Amino acid sequence: MKKLKETENIFVLGIFLGVCAAIAALVLAYFADLTREPIKKMKMQAVNNALKEVLPAFDNSPGNNTFKKDGVTFYGARKDGKLIAVAASGDTMKGYSGKIVAMAGLKLDGKIRTIALVDGKKLSAVLITEQKETPGLGTVVCERKRQKTIVSIFEEPGKDAALPAGNKILDQFADKSAGKTPWQVTKAGGKFDYMTGATISSKAVTGVVYKIARTFVVNRQEIIKELSKAKK
Amino acid sequence: MSLIKDFTRGIWKENPVLVMLLGMCPTLAVTTNAENGLSMGVATTFVLLGCNIVISLVRNIVPKKIRIPVYIVVIATFVTVVELLMSAYAPPAINKSLGIFIPLIVVNCIVLGRAEAFASKTGVFRSIMDALGMGLGFSLALAALGGTREFLATGSLFQIKIIIPWTVDFMLWTGAPGAFIILGCFLAGMNKLNMRKAVKSGKVYIPPQGLGCSHCRLCDIGVNEE
Repeated sequence: MKKLKETENIFVLGIFLGVCAAIAALVLAYFADLTREPIKKMKMQAVNNALKEVLPAFDNSPGNNTFKKDGVTFYGARKDGKLIAVAASGDTMKGYSGKIVAMAGLKLDGKIRTIALVDGKKLSAVLITEQKETPGLGTVVCERKRQKTIVSIFEEPGKDAALPAGNKILDQFADKSAGKTPWQVTKAGGKFDYMTGATISSKAVTGVVYKIARTFVVNRQEIIKELSKAKK
Repeated sequence: MSLIKDFTRGIWKENPVLVMLLGMCPTLAVTTNAENGLSMGVATTFVLLGCNIVISLVRNIVPKKIRIPVYIVVIATFVTVVELLMSAYAPPAINKSLGIFIPLIVVNCIVLGRAEAFASKTGVFRSIMDALGMGLGFSLALAALGGTREFLATGSLFQIKIIIPWTVDFMLWTGAPGAFIILGCFLAGMNKLNMRKAVKSGKVYIPPQGLGCSHCRLCDIGVNEE
């Protein structure tokens, strides 16, 4: 053993390192195999949770009833066999730090769904499912985070927890349907508010929601037909 | 006795963040809130533990010439395992915010430092204690830093608002400048505490080499040690 420790024979060293790497590769292969299913499940669950928030009550599994068109994925929600609403997920690279993925719930006429009225304000069915924006600035545009306070954790926890939290930027899209002119923030001459300090994120979010809604409006017949098809 | 010593050393006397100043990249970047800091600490502890065990087991057969590459292979393997396990089982929110920092544990000097300075020279049990102590010290330091920054920025701790009327975030503390300022305050406080302890017991406090602040004349904390 002493010999191995002090050896300078380059072949012995090479073989030793090779053996180490081979063992490491085996261990990694084992763990990659072990976690493949749970990771898939986790991703599926994230999509399903988002779908549950943006869609009305459904009795099929929209995660399996999908249709892709122009880079936007559509999920069809059915009740008693009839298509009642569509969720759509699309992405943009125009965020402050790259990719932003949004999911929106759409009515069959192309309008963005309103989930509920909270204090007279509409809650829109728009969620940002993936983003890397600056914490505290860009994330404010993207997040629907229910604020927990020291008081609220002692109150009954179930209290209107079913609703997602409001978001000034995302809630603007409630009941809007995408026309020919792209949606813009007021700074770019449009009619949507933006968050000071996060103009680029606001623009990107407005853009991607428009893209989703517009893709649906343009291809409405085809998408509804595809999603109404009976699938196993 | 020495097992306990190996364990406690990492928590205070040789705290990896506050005394040895190792692993500054995750320390400064991740500690925007207490939860992130703590989870990063736990992930690093797991990697440290695995690496220390493996490396102290093979310490007598690894050729000296290639010990660093071998350590890196071991560390990288453990980090990838942690990454896989986290994306499979950790809550999505934590996984999201720590995602880009987990691969960086590979180059975290604490792990390599403990492998080279401790595990490669001592037996398995002492290495385990060392890893646990260092990991705990790292986690505590990160959680404290994260908690302080989170509280100063938003008035909340572990995402729970403590001061309810606090609605506008104070962004300085969650950004990079805040990280440096708070870390500096922590280091100064640590030195001050150690110094007071030494004075009380009648000894002269010698800061860890290169970490004394007597060369700086901005304040008089470091002056009386000369």
